[in-house]
Amino acid sequence: MSLIGADVRIEVAEEHNPDRKGGADREFVGRTPWQLAWARLRRDRVAMVSLGFIVFLMLVAIFAPLLTALIGHGPNTQYSTTGLSPSGIPVAPGHNGFLLGTDDQGRDVLSRIIYGARISLEVGVGATALALGVGLVVGLLAGYYGGWIDALLARFMDILLSFPILLFALAIIARFGPSLDLVLIVIAMFSWPYIGRLVRGQVISLREREFVEAARALGSSDLRIMFVEIAPNLIALAVIYATLLIPVNIVTEATLSFLGLGVLPPTASWGNMIAEAQTGDLFTVAWWFLVFPCVALVLTTLAFNLLGDGLRDALDPRHGRSNIIPPTKQQRVLAKLRKRTAREAAREAERANA
Amino acid sequence: MTRFVLRRLLYLVIVLVIITFVTYVIFFAGNPTNLAGRFAGRDASPQAIKDAAVRLGLNHGFFYQYWHYLLGLLHGSFGLDYQNQVPINSEIARAFPVTASLVLGASILWLLIGIPIGIMSATHPRSLRDRMGTTFALTFLSMPTFVLGLLLLLVLYYYLTQAGITWFPPAGYVSFTQSPAQWAVHLILPWFTLALVQAAVYTRLVRGSLLDVLGEDYIRTARAKGLSRRTVIYKHGVRAALTPVVTQLGIDVGTLLAGAFVTEQVFGLTGLGQLALNAIRNSDLPVVAAVVVLAASFIVVMNTIVDLVYAVLDPRVRLA
Repeated sequence: MSLIGADVRIEVAEEHNPDRKGGADREFVGRTPWQLAWARLRRDRVAMVSLGFIVFLMLVAIFAPLLTALIGHGPNTQYSTTGLSPSGIPVAPGHNGFLLGTDDQGRDVLSRIIYGARISLEVGVGATALALGVGLVVGLLAGYYGGWIDALLARFMDILLSFPILLFALAIIARFGPSLDLVLIVIAMFSWPYIGRLVRGQVISLREREFVEAARALGSSDLRIMFVEIAPNLIALAVIYATLLIPVNIVTEATLSFLGLGVLPPTASWGNMIAEAQTGDLFTVAWWFLVFPCVALVLTTLAFNLLGDGLRDALDPRHGRSNIIPPTKQQRVLAKLRKRTAREAAREAERANA
Repeated sequence: MTRFVLRRLLYLVIVLVIITFVTYVIFFAGNPTNLAGRFAGRDASPQAIKDAAVRLGLNHGFFYQYWHYLLGLLHGSFGLDYQNQVPINSEIARAFPVTASLVLGASILWLLIGIPIGIMSATHPRSLRDRMGTTFALTFLSMPTFVLGLLLLLVLYYYLTQAGITWFPPAGYVSFTQSPAQWAVHLILPWFTLALVQAAVYTRLVRGSLLDVLGEDYIRTARAKGLSRRTVIYKHGVRAALTPVVTQLGIDVGTLLAGAFVTEQVFGLTGLGQLALNAIRNSDLPVVAAVVVLAASFIVVMNTIVDLVYAVLDPRVRLA
């Protein structure tokens, strides 16, 4: 794994930049590994589109009350006259001002999807952050100290991972009553061991490195070595796996809500919207209130997965493109200028010939 | 070998004790009299609630009840359920074949879909075929099971039937002994739902592991001594690349055998997942505990089988 954040790499950008061979403006560019990673990510179009979608979704979630006010339909208001046909059938998309139609109770599907985004992101990001925190601390302790502490913690993580997770999550939530906080905590409880195991593995190899030895020789405390010396080297790993854990946790929340033991109606969550569409095969009458929440859910998880893949390519030296050193902004501008002057010179030469 | 199996059995016993204990703690973290009240019937008198508690054994202490449960397990009995006072063993005997048909059929399907696509991706890295394989994997990886299942039902069952093509039956289950053909027809959509989502995981797994293996020195050696590309990839490469697949298969089949909750819910299959879900909703502790015991046993047993398969696949592995 890379030692991102630990040093500044100086490289000759020249060799990797085919537009410029030789010339007077040959120079050395110093960039931190983070700048390199960002430059690599920026050239990954799929990852950038996914990032854009995620930012858009976050804005939608933050400004949900404003957006639904603009639409004019609250997420839980039942529009029994405009939202349902006289025989009680949901209104199709685009009718009566319901852009994505209504559900069986005459509620606006679009407004509910917007509010559902809040739940999904809150649980997805919140549970992942919690899992990341616990996983990092436990992984650091287990990996750094080794011995009986490691044996105990590693075995504990193994046992937790061999639990039938969904079954236990359902049982706990049923026992204590479904609530958003409980769903978040339960999801975090069963997902931190994944991070913990990864971190432990990394720390076991990092603790033998020279910089740790140097810190110890200088008399640093164990806590300082763990959290100041070793932890920064885990950031890249943490960023990648957190991005890949978010969609998993979003799906878990949706699954719990779908099974009726997550976020309870009338609060809109994509999972319980889909469950409502399934009740009594209502989706066969009104496909839109099954299909649109499904699309929202799939696009969101897909965006996080694609971004996670892009991040792995950009940050992890064992994967894909991370050895490519992209040109700096200055180099890009220079290359463009050089091309333009070359073109102009060619044109000039042509004119002179003619 | 005997030692290995004995050790695993001991591990199974320890895991079962821990896992059932946790289940009991979760359930008794609430109020047990409350639990008795639930099963005494609506508007029950205090006396009726007390009777219900005695009938369900809830009048005893926590450890007494737990100990009794363990004794029952030793005799191979899961006890009676709270709701109807029916032996849980017979309920499980009814539900298990449904889940087993679903999971075993789907697992064959997901291996048949996932492994070839993974091999194709890894042997042609960064080609169009690889990108198509990766897109397939990412799409289904991002697709929750219930989304895929419901969309398949909507399009393949509902719209096709509406259009006059009745290839797929509605949700439901027909037992194999009743009619093997109907059994398979009713399971096609659930099989594909479960298999496509799982196949995505296997595609990525095979691709990653085969790419690693193909970079090894012994692969170059095999090519250098004149073996054909085909022999090298399939005999030397794929065989070594399949070890993580075997691990994953053990975990997945073990976990799913104790209830494919979502697929069963979507397609109305009355398997262990539905049994457990209903029991959880009704606070029917003995049934939940029974499914938990089954789940943990399946996972440990599958892991043991995986380790035995390892020893066959990789001669360096010794069982200890």
